[in-house]
Amino acid sequence: MTTDRIAGSVLVVAGTLTGLEATTFDVAFMTDPVGPKALPFLVAVMLLVAGVRTIARPRSEVALPPRPVALRMGAAALAFLGYAAILPWIGFFLATTLVVAALAMLYRGPVGGSLAAGMALAGTLWLLFVRILALPLPVGDLWIR
Amino acid sequence: MDSLSHLIDGFGIALQPINVGLAFAGVGIGTFVGMLPGIGPINAIAILIPVTFASGMGAASALILLVGIYYGSQYGNSISTILLNVPGTASSVVTAIDGYAMTKDGRGGPALAMSAIASFVGGTLSIFGLVLFAPVLAGWAIRFGPAEYFALMIFAFSALSSFAGGSLLRALASTGFGLWLAAVGLDPNSAIPRYTFGQIQLLDGMDFVVVTIGLFAVSEVFQLLEDTEGGRSVAASYGRVAVTMKEFTSCGWTMLRGSVLGFLVGVLPGAGGTIASFLSYSTEERFAGRTSRFGRGDIRGVAAPEAANNAAANGAMIPLLTLGVPGSGTTAVLLGALLGLGVTPGPLLLQEEPDLFWGLAASMYVGNAFLLLLNLPLVGVFIKALRVPRWVLIPSVAALAFVAVYAVNGSAFDLVLMTMFGVFGYLMRKFDFPLAPVVLGLVLGPLMEKNLRRAMALSGGEIGVLFDSPIALTLWGLAAASLLAPTLVRRLTTDLVEEAPAAEED
Repeated sequence: MTTDRIAGSVLVVAGTLTGLEATTFDVAFMTDPVGPKALPFLVAVMLLVAGVRTIARPRSEVALPPRPVALRMGAAALAFLGYAAILPWIGFFLATTLVVAALAMLYRGPVGGSLAAGMALAGTLWLLFVRILALPLPVGDLWIR
Repeated sequence: MDSLSHLIDGFGIALQPINVGLAFAGVGIGTFVGMLPGIGPINAIAILIPVTFASGMGAASALILLVGIYYGSQYGNSISTILLNVPGTASSVVTAIDGYAMTKDGRGGPALAMSAIASFVGGTLSIFGLVLFAPVLAGWAIRFGPAEYFALMIFAFSALSSFAGGSLLRALASTGFGLWLAAVGLDPNSAIPRYTFGQIQLLDGMDFVVVTIGLFAVSEVFQLLEDTEGGRSVAASYGRVAVTMKEFTSCGWTMLRGSVLGFLVGVLPGAGGTIASFLSYSTEERFAGRTSRFGRGDIRGVAAPEAANNAAANGAMIPLLTLGVPGSGTTAVLLGALLGLGVTPGPLLLQEEPDLFWGLAASMYVGNAFLLLLNLPLVGVFIKALRVPRWVLIPSVAALAFVAVYAVNGSAFDLVLMTMFGVFGYLMRKFDFPLAPVVLGLVLGPLMEKNLRRAMALSGGEIGVLFDSPIALTLWGLAAASLLAPTLVRRLTTDLVEEAPAAEED
């Protein structure tokens, strides 16, 4: 009940903000009779309808993950964000090794195996993408200077 | 037989060594990701799209690879379904009923073989349907104006929302989210920035590859953290992967009926392999009568859904290619890939890019032949892959997702966006909001808005133009009917849904 009401409220807030923001999409001269506001207003209505109905008729409680699992998920999300932050700096190979190893350990892999998997994967992907497919991946500013 | 001569020309393209290699790679990857629960064809295709763009391969070659993953996954999805009772994708959920029962009986081998054969029958027969009906539909759709296209897209949204199976209201919210994502960026008509939060990177709009990988692949990484104890699973012994002549002939009509039914259901937007396999299974159950072993390990219970879901996958290519309207999350991603390759699917595709269409159709025969090879004599190789522990598999998927997302724009900002969509996708799964309508909304949204604006500009702002032609009215009617259809379908399949284990949608 409560969890579903929260979801519904999020939809209502999102719909309201979408609609309010859409009122600012003013153009000096209209190139077409519809304009840039129509689609956003449609979205706002869809979200509001879905949100209000969800609040009015909520479903049974959603089982959120227990604390240790939620912590591991948070750690995984942080690892992804950390990856985005350090990738341009320390380069693809090292960053990917670290993030894969961290993720493997979150999945309860052994420490040594996780590091080995990270290194093997980062090396393989580097060879595949940079050498064979000629897709540029960051080398790392730290090593170029 | 105009189609036949075109198809022969198509083989000239499909049999070029590079395209044979790509078809093989596509169906191999497809079998692999179809089999493994938690990866899925939509992730594999989204991850490979930036690679095909960057490698500069032609549109026909890229499509042969990506579509190979799509129909190949319909073969692979039955492997883990039959051996482990863990469906790879939702369209093989019913295969689990009799397939897994056969494995418990020690007849897993015949079940695997029958599933591969039925997939081949459904796959190849439906390519006939594709080459026969696509030109017809294209010839008919050539009269579509912007108002008809707008109505058609509304039909696509309502069909996907109602056939997705869950609550219509939640699908409405998901579609709204997708359309909102479509609005982000510079409005092409007035050059006004919408919902960019002052981020320059968002002026170009949301990239569907980033959104799809975030919503599907990254959210799956979070979801699977709930169950880190599971993972390495040991398949039961399954015996020789072959069927006897008697088993094969007993399934002859079953496979034919399943193929036709699956193809017809597949052409409808939104319905797809899941509904096709449910309908085919319940039809055969009725044909077999009360004395059959349906539900307790009848081999026809494997043949029926597998023929149907493969036929449906190919049938779904018709609206995608001739109308430019996808009916599922995976075909929406394929549409995004086509647009990115500079190909506009629609009624003119067959005239303007005959090599692409006929080359693709011919390559589907090549791919299905490879799939039979991969899924009969070589199925053991894939079964070994089921033993890769989860702590290796999932981080590998994550790393591939990073590379693909980074390759889109070469920017780490997209990795942040991807993570945000991953968290979003996880919460949406948790609260039972369907993910496929988000991708459909994102990919179709700009086209829908463009057609609405064009129709209104032509009519001078008169809204009646949207309901002016018989075709448009028919499409509005279909859209309304599709919202009522699930009640009927659900009545037919309720008992099945309760028996079958849950799986991700494809």
